[in-house]
Amino acid sequence: MKISISRDAILTPLQMANNVIERRQTLPILSNVLMSVKDNTLSLTGTDLEVEIINHCAIENNEDGETTLPARKLLDICKALPEGSNIEILIDQERAVLKSGRSRFTLSTLSATEFPSIDALISPFEFNVPQKTFKKLIDQTQFCMAQQDVRYYLNGLMLELSNNQMIAVATDGHRLAFCQAEIDLNPGETRQVIVPRKAVNEISRLLEESDESVKVSLSENHIRISFSEVIFTSKLIDGKFPDYQQVIPQKCDNEVKSSRDNLYQSFHRTSVLSNEKYRGMRLQLSENQLQATVHNPEQDEAEEVIEVNYSGDEFEIGFNVAYLLDALSAIKSEEVVMQLTDSNHSCLLFGTDDVNSKYVVMPMRL
Amino acid sequence: MIIHLDMDAFYASVEEREHPELVGLPVVVGGPSKTRGVVAAANYEARKFGVVSAMPMMQASRLCPELQILPVNMPLYVSVSKQIHEIFNRYTPEIEPLSLDEAFLDVSGSIKLFGSAEEIARRIKQEIKDELRLVVSAGIAPNKFVAKIASDFDKPDGFVVVEEDAMQDFLDPLPVKRIWGVGKKTELQLNNYGITTIKDLRNQSVRWLIDRFGKQGDHIYRLAHGLDKREVISDAKAKSISAENTFIENISDKEILIAYLSLLTEQVAARLREKNRKGKTVTVKVRFHDFTTIVRSKTLAESTNQTQQIWLLVKSLFTAAVASNASGRPVVRLLGVGVSGFNNDTTYQGDLFSEGSKHDELDGVADEINQRFGKLKIHRGRNTK
Repeated sequence: MKISISRDAILTPLQMANNVIERRQTLPILSNVLMSVKDNTLSLTGTDLEVEIINHCAIENNEDGETTLPARKLLDICKALPEGSNIEILIDQERAVLKSGRSRFTLSTLSATEFPSIDALISPFEFNVPQKTFKKLIDQTQFCMAQQDVRYYLNGLMLELSNNQMIAVATDGHRLAFCQAEIDLNPGETRQVIVPRKAVNEISRLLEESDESVKVSLSENHIRISFSEVIFTSKLIDGKFPDYQQVIPQKCDNEVKSSRDNLYQSFHRTSVLSNEKYRGMRLQLSENQLQATVHNPEQDEAEEVIEVNYSGDEFEIGFNVAYLLDALSAIKSEEVVMQLTDSNHSCLLFGTDDVNSKYVVMPMRL
Repeated sequence: MIIHLDMDAFYASVEEREHPELVGLPVVVGGPSKTRGVVAAANYEARKFGVVSAMPMMQASRLCPELQILPVNMPLYVSVSKQIHEIFNRYTPEIEPLSLDEAFLDVSGSIKLFGSAEEIARRIKQEIKDELRLVVSAGIAPNKFVAKIASDFDKPDGFVVVEEDAMQDFLDPLPVKRIWGVGKKTELQLNNYGITTIKDLRNQSVRWLIDRFGKQGDHIYRLAHGLDKREVISDAKAKSISAENTFIENISDKEILIAYLSLLTEQVAARLREKNRKGKTVTVKVRFHDFTTIVRSKTLAESTNQTQQIWLLVKSLFTAAVASNASGRPVVRLLGVGVSGFNNDTTYQGDLFSEGSKHDELDGVADEINQRFGKLKIHRGRNTK
């Protein structure tokens, strides 16, 4: 087997494979990248058994075959080679020789037959979605996914497909992000899948801010996203996502309207002095005024008085300031609405220009 | 000086107070009926018939056919217990509750303000009588061990003061079983050596006792000499909050054990909430009839003071503890529930899905009602699930 390729062409696919490959591996083959050459195409595959990414690139002057090489080392070598240089990889038995200019590296290989690949998806449901739509759905919600929660079904992003509608929901149990988009779609019945956290991060990286579509395939256990040169596949989380509709408040008596920037800046400033662990912030609502105060165990104190549009009840409520800041960063509108009931119930946030994205934050008792 | 206060026939007295028509009659709390369940508490009238706590209801009603049986109303006792503690609190913050109806008070720091320990104990006793119409027995002594014996010495309605220089004379004639840690087994062993009173015990050298009873020998020796250095640990200082119940008669009925556990859990959780504490580690202690004791703990990811959350762990820990008992059919002598691993702040992040927030509200409402009205029967149904 022989590969001849420019350093710059192989760098991005190698980087992508390495993103998927876990640093610490029990199975040696999982730290390798699968390289196969067929019909003038080089395919590079990285996997962690849950998530798999395949990159295709066109090459010339090659010899068909397949093998696996240590992914991290290969990437580091390619990175260190000068820009614009050419690479030639020759596989001979258990050794791979990589040559570029006057550099020469010999790497050990592992047999490609050992490499675990995710099989073809069985009777998948397929649809196309514009990349930027999919990207928006993910970017507006993913920051609310749980991390290593025992409620394993929260450690991912819920995608729901119904007629002409795609919804993404993420929640860690303390806050929730919801985003919906209209797309051309007809799944028959409503479908719900939970995409694991790691896959969501990768998909978001792969998607571009473009009108071009990607093909999404969903089977019982997998999601596959096919770009022109990249095929990304992930296992799905097998679990039942909580009923998100029930926790998005429908009717709230107390509505705060404010400039998003003002609110964000003020909260951000007070957050400097918040308790590092709990990040509690107290909000006092009164006629056209929102007062934010923060204390920490060192007895430091921050206070901001924010002019807002408010004519509801006077009351006090506590929040994890980081949750509000995350939501406010995700909201792109100039004006933001905060809907509240009382100090024990959740708060709904959304931008006035985009009611398709909504955020729910549970209060904190301080 | 230490004051030990122990309410007389607490559950039954509270019920008598709530049901004046029962005064003078033999009353027990427990049930659920004449033929099922056990006696949780008996008043002195019932005790005259030989009825004692943890006795099967069947047997109790046979001993005393006139027996008045009332269901256990734990939330009521919890709320009365709080009122009692409020009275204690007027005199000292150094209160170590042992259970709902029993506590140690260290009044060393309060004597300047309120007069002698004896005076303080007398006032507490009077205030409990006047304000709550309940009777407490008090023991006043230089340490916990002697104070506890003293409160029991003249029960009911006891009031016994043991000054430092009178301590040995007070202890000497008492049987050895009055010493903490001397159970039936040790008592029998001591009796076999001809040791029946604390004085007999005191005449032995510490070496002699250690040789025969190991570490416990040293402990017995010191208590026999009226030496007890343990401090009163108030809830504010405590690293854990717990409650335990030693049954006078061993219990093997799992349903009854579960019911007792549930009551202990409610007590502990209510006390955590009262003190604004949340703990991460839940511990269950089970002592079997043969004195083997199993202590099982589990630590949660986040600290809690929710009855429901603690209860779920308590149940699974109890099941594990019982499973490790080889006999399969556990005969239990003591049950205990504790929560430790406190985090010191009271910040609580609400949860969107877990039943958590609902349970908090439930606990809050129940606590409030029980505190304010005392009489309302807000408590969980028999927690057997």
